[in-house]
Amino acid sequence: MKRRDFGKLASIGLAGFVWSPAVGSAQVKEIRMIEAGGKSGESIEEGYIKPFTARTGIRCVRESPGSLGKLRAMVESGKITAALFELGSGSLSQAIPLGLVEPLDWAAINPQPMFPEARTDHGLGYQYFSTVMAWRKGVKAPRSWADFFNTRDFPGKRTVPEYPHYCLQFALLADGVSPDKLFPLDADRALRKLGEIKKDIAVLWKAGAQPPQLLKDNEVQYAISWSGRVVGEPAIEMTFNQGMYDLSYFSVPKGVSKDEKDAAMKLLHEMTIAKNQARAAQVVSYTGPSPDLEALLPREKFSEFPTVKQNKSVQWQQNAEWWRVNGESVNKKWEQFRLNL
Amino acid sequence: MNGLAFVAPLLLVMIGAFNAPILYMLALGFWSKAGGFTTAHYAAVFEASVYLKVLASTLRISLIATVANVLLGYPLAYWMSGLRPTGQLVAVALVITPFWISILVRTYAWIVVLGNAGLVNSSLLALGVITEPIRFLYNELGVTIGMANVLLPFLVLPLFAAMVRIDGRLLQAAASLGATPATIFWKVFFPLTVPALGAGALLVFILSLGFYITPAILGGNRVSMISNLLDKLINEIPRWEQASVISTLLLIVTLVIFALYRRLDRSAA
Repeated sequence: MKRRDFGKLASIGLAGFVWSPAVGSAQVKEIRMIEAGGKSGESIEEGYIKPFTARTGIRCVRESPGSLGKLRAMVESGKITAALFELGSGSLSQAIPLGLVEPLDWAAINPQPMFPEARTDHGLGYQYFSTVMAWRKGVKAPRSWADFFNTRDFPGKRTVPEYPHYCLQFALLADGVSPDKLFPLDADRALRKLGEIKKDIAVLWKAGAQPPQLLKDNEVQYAISWSGRVVGEPAIEMTFNQGMYDLSYFSVPKGVSKDEKDAAMKLLHEMTIAKNQARAAQVVSYTGPSPDLEALLPREKFSEFPTVKQNKSVQWQQNAEWWRVNGESVNKKWEQFRLNL
Repeated sequence: MNGLAFVAPLLLVMIGAFNAPILYMLALGFWSKAGGFTTAHYAAVFEASVYLKVLASTLRISLIATVANVLLGYPLAYWMSGLRPTGQLVAVALVITPFWISILVRTYAWIVVLGNAGLVNSSLLALGVITEPIRFLYNELGVTIGMANVLLPFLVLPLFAAMVRIDGRLLQAAASLGATPATIFWKVFFPLTVPALGAGALLVFILSLGFYITPAILGGNRVSMISNLLDKLINEIPRWEQASVISTLLLIVTLVIFALYRRLDRSAA
């Protein structure tokens, strides 16, 4: 091939590349989502993407992991590479004032009944997860956070999250604050309480896979952990009692094309259907936002799920909005605390 | 002109993919939300002394790791330089091998070796040497061990190369003049390896400053280092402006250390 021909071909190819979104705009064939990955991602595939593709013929490609930094980079660069972005409740409330997410079109989502906290202007809460206490089978079982923080009567090493917003509330509960009085949160008091047991905190974990592994390896005997990581583990016991439930949301990055957003709304609709949520819950022990889900879950695994009535009623909800406003100042205190460990 | 034409694509890639983003990152620290120049982000970082303390902690851990590396690496390189060629080949291969293994795998392997139920502790317990496991991990000791493991080749290889280049006749001359082996080592051999030792140690130190995985896993996140803080400021909170300020400070500290080294190096020569 002569060079000029190649140039001609390349320019045709380039033109095709540039124009293809416009040509295909009448009908989106594929959308992309960024999600947390792992088992959770598989549950999205199984529970929601399969019925979505069956109904609409649109494929959905998953990518992971996501972070608030990634979303910000995507939106600020103007290159929107995903129509749906999974955000934790804290990240979502950070993303809204930064202008990183579009309002959802709830008329287009046309949701089936869902818990009120899962339906927000900018995010659909698709998955409940809890932060709970867990311990190695065989050690003295704690019944409250006061027990968890009592290292004299409950001797053993602890692991707690290296995220102040998944940790400090439990220190306050141990110090006698009642769940409805946690916010506004007294970070100094919480860190003082945490400081009392700092000799017994072996590890501050960042990855959800760490606490179950540390418990199994007998590196620690007690852990604050995400519920889905420890339920059903034969060597580990846990309780939802005084646990914190929280939501993961799906949002739409600002600047996504209208057609992709429309397709994304159809996928979000699938996430409100109880039957789909039950299928997702078979892959990972986290539950969707439908109040009707309870009836569809397998009886023998009932106690594993964060939102069945017996579990949800003994827990309390994370306050993402408070963390949005105060996260930065608490983080400074947290770093100071870590320096003194 | 012709030369430039050949270099131009690479130059453009370097400027576009590497230099421009760094300049953008530096500029971000002086950018206000309204779009003008501001020093507010710097003021905020200096006001919150804790971020500077994390920087100081990072420098301290890096220094410890560097000293550990020198104490391990110098004797190793010295021993290697005295081997016969085949022995040297095998030794170099053994030193380089860890480069082919992912840093994550190596870091987690230390948990298997040094954990409470790990190889070392269970052996010592079985032998009755200790009655309860030694805590190697989730403290500065664990971080130092992990960092020394990852960084050792960066020190040993340049040091080894410098040592085998030393003219053996110099040592023989010193011996013929009646110097003892210790004198020969300290007065002749060691000074000749100082430039390579300095360069290797500096390389190890600078690489240590950016460590993320090792302190997170082997330090159990109890050991504060700057990368972990930056990750938080970029991905979790997000305060990119403050992250930019801290990165800039880290860059300045690194450059100052580098300049000091250059000055020392020149005065030594």
